[in-house]
Amino acid sequence: MDKLKCLLATVFIALIAGLAFIYSGFYPMGADVPHNPLSYWALETLRERSIARAAAEIRVPADLNQAERLLAGGADYNDMCAGCHLQPGKQQSDFSLGLYPVPPNLTQAETDEEDATAEARIRFWIIKHGIKASGMPAWGPSHDDDRIWNMVAFLQRLPELSPEQYQILTARAESDTEQH
Amino acid sequence: MNKANLSLSLLCLSLSALLSLPAQAHDPKEHMKDGHKPNCAAMKDMDHSKMDMTDPLVQAMMRKCTQQMHAEHAAAGDIREEQGQRQKQEETEPQPQPEPEHKHKH
Repeated sequence: MDKLKCLLATVFIALIAGLAFIYSGFYPMGADVPHNPLSYWALETLRERSIARAAAEIRVPADLNQAERLLAGGADYNDMCAGCHLQPGKQQSDFSLGLYPVPPNLTQAETDEEDATAEARIRFWIIKHGIKASGMPAWGPSHDDDRIWNMVAFLQRLPELSPEQYQILTARAESDTEQH
Repeated sequence: MNKANLSLSLLCLSLSALLSLPAQAHDPKEHMKDGHKPNCAAMKDMDHSKMDMTDPLVQAMMRKCTQQMHAEHAAAGDIREEQGQRQKQEETEPQPQPEPEHKHKH
């Protein structure tokens, strides 16, 4: 019984201490001060687990690797994503330097051997829903699923593009509208 | 204005605001004004022997450059046609006669 009382008291004190810390305003919220390792681990794990669970049931279209999708997705990537996630031949931007957490450089191939289908699901979910408190917006409210899949298709090929290939694929010239 | 009319107006206003939301989505045409042409000349410098024509990436680049080429040819054709029409018009239109000179001076 004494042990239970002691445990409850510890939990209560920890709760009060946590609340006191939150209300104290001592936690640095500036994007130029990194999280402490514990906060970083907790937030990153929370993000990764949440997205993996939410994206698990998404059905990936079979025709993802198609020229039409690459052209449509490339132009949208250049307009909407390249500012933060960079483009071939560019190592940094104002956004990639200033945002915290640092947006991933999508022109570099993933180092871990993640299943391509799982990666496509996760990318689709992130583009559609965004990520809280990270600077990543939800594009779902203004872009339909097919358009988001086009961007996912482009992302799969982005790491292998040279700056010249990227320029051709992402150019949004007037000839695009004449053909449709 | 009575209460029912006011409510109806507010409802219509809300509905029209909701219906106008998709129009605010990012439309590719918005970017046409600051769109840049594909630099297809760079393709000439690429190693064509390493290009796999069945690769969707290569197909996409070829398609983009073909579209661009057609658009440029069409634009050049339009200009030539316009020039031809103007020339023809100038040839068929009667030349304005020079005004007869007045003999007396003011």
